[in-house]
Amino acid sequence: MAQASTDPLTAPRTRPGTARPRPPRRPLRMALWLAVTGAVLWAALGVDVDLSDLLVGPGRLLSIAGLMFTPPDWAYAGRAFEGMLESIQIAWIGTLLGAVFSLPLGFLAAKNVTAATGSTVARQVLNGIRAVPELILAIAFVPILGLGAFAGTMAIGLHSIGTLGKLTAEVIEGIDAGPVEAARATGASTSAVMRWGVLPQVLPDVVAFWLYRFEINLRTSAILGLVGAGGVGGILQNTLQYRRWDKAGMTILVIVAATVAIDAVSSRIRRRIIAGPDRAVVVAPVEAT
Amino acid sequence: MTAPAGARPAKPRPGWGLVAGLVGFTALTWWAGGARYGIGFSVAEMIDNARRARRIVSDFFNPDWNFAPATVAPFVETLQMAILAAVIGCGAALIVAFLASRLTTPNNPVYLVDKGGLNVLRALPDLLYALVFVAAFSIGPLGGILALIMFNVGVVAKLLSETVDGVDTGPVEAAQAAGAGRLQTVRTAVFPQVLPNYLAYSLYAFELNLRASTVIGYVGAGGIGQLVQTQVARFAYGRVTVIIVEIFVIVFVIESISIALRRRLV
Repeated sequence: MAQASTDPLTAPRTRPGTARPRPPRRPLRMALWLAVTGAVLWAALGVDVDLSDLLVGPGRLLSIAGLMFTPPDWAYAGRAFEGMLESIQIAWIGTLLGAVFSLPLGFLAAKNVTAATGSTVARQVLNGIRAVPELILAIAFVPILGLGAFAGTMAIGLHSIGTLGKLTAEVIEGIDAGPVEAARATGASTSAVMRWGVLPQVLPDVVAFWLYRFEINLRTSAILGLVGAGGVGGILQNTLQYRRWDKAGMTILVIVAATVAIDAVSSRIRRRIIAGPDRAVVVAPVEAT
Repeated sequence: MTAPAGARPAKPRPGWGLVAGLVGFTALTWWAGGARYGIGFSVAEMIDNARRARRIVSDFFNPDWNFAPATVAPFVETLQMAILAAVIGCGAALIVAFLASRLTTPNNPVYLVDKGGLNVLRALPDLLYALVFVAAFSIGPLGGILALIMFNVGVVAKLLSETVDGVDTGPVEAAQAAGAGRLQTVRTAVFPQVLPNYLAYSLYAFELNLRASTVIGYVGAGGIGQLVQTQVARFAYGRVTVIIVEIFVIVFVIESISIALRRRLV
């Protein structure tokens, strides 16, 4: 209002097009950048790193890679593959455990299904479970449940409850309210509303998430053996510890090959679940009416 | 076309995909969970084990809070590792991501090499990088930072390249029509579109780093994980509980802040 001089009719004509408007000042953004820069400087100056290691490292890395892969110990493939199979089993059962327990928890944590207090409590429980990394869980479970695949499975299962429960709750919160209302209008009980109004809407997404979690859990179960929780990680740990580089190289090759192959299959199944059947079948063209 | 009143249409038969899926699911579960080939999942064994391990369990439930001051320095190191790796890793990921999108990299060999390299990079777990880098460089935070950088490049470059694939091509065409070179197009037409997402992914990477750097120390890569390892080796489970509770709180707090920031960004 006060800037009447900006009126194009009355404003003094100062060669239009040459003067650019000044960029707006953003004090908050400036402060944020300063904070980030400060944090980076603090970290860079404070961390205990010997820069001379940085010079010799790459050379050693190359020689290790050479020892690992030129050539890897092909005869060790069978042993590594056995370990990988155990890792797959751990990931599968762990994901299954997570799926079974996360589904009801996901319903409890969804705001449009459960009352506010209940959903908040359930959500915080899920957040709490997710905050502890699987490896830490495995470290705690190994002395309690004994060395081996069982401890790893429980660690992966427990963590998966947290991640899958949160995703399930988010999917449920995104559903169409129509079918729920329709089910309610027919006088359906709460459990019937869940079964017929909510579950069919979320099931494809939720099952796809389970498969996706299986892919992630496979990567995790491949390393849990480092703490004695079963799977191929134990083999990796041993071969690296005793500097059997060619055997370690073979093990890494097996891990990568199995992970990539299972990812490919799993992502195809996921796409099929989400997109539905018979995408290739073209519906007979309808004549113009 | 007059159906008798009250007659329901027949239920459609389940498709072969569903049947195959269920059969596959059952077979895999039986194979993986059975006692013969698999991990031999049994509740009885679990209870039995837990009973025998009662002393260990009670150790876990008696946290040794006097140990807390000794954990401060390793946690500071963990935080420093996470920050440095996030900054360096996300910077490198910017280049890798633009090379992994057809929109910004029409050159086929470059695109394929970059994309393929990214897939291999992502197939390896962070802990494995830590193991190898600790062996090649040194025990301590350097190996950990390098491992986290690899991990961050994988995560951020993947997410960002997919965002770049999905940008509005209008500004890109406008820039090209104005005679912009490839780098200028990326700088003025693509980068501003993906910047909020890029910052959000970087924050996410920092979050993941914090979580990961609590564990990669277990193989000697510095930070709090290394302390966990020494205490587990001494069977000092009361101290391990203290560390776990602290990790829990710190990850929880930083994640909440980061999620709030990310929500504002996108």
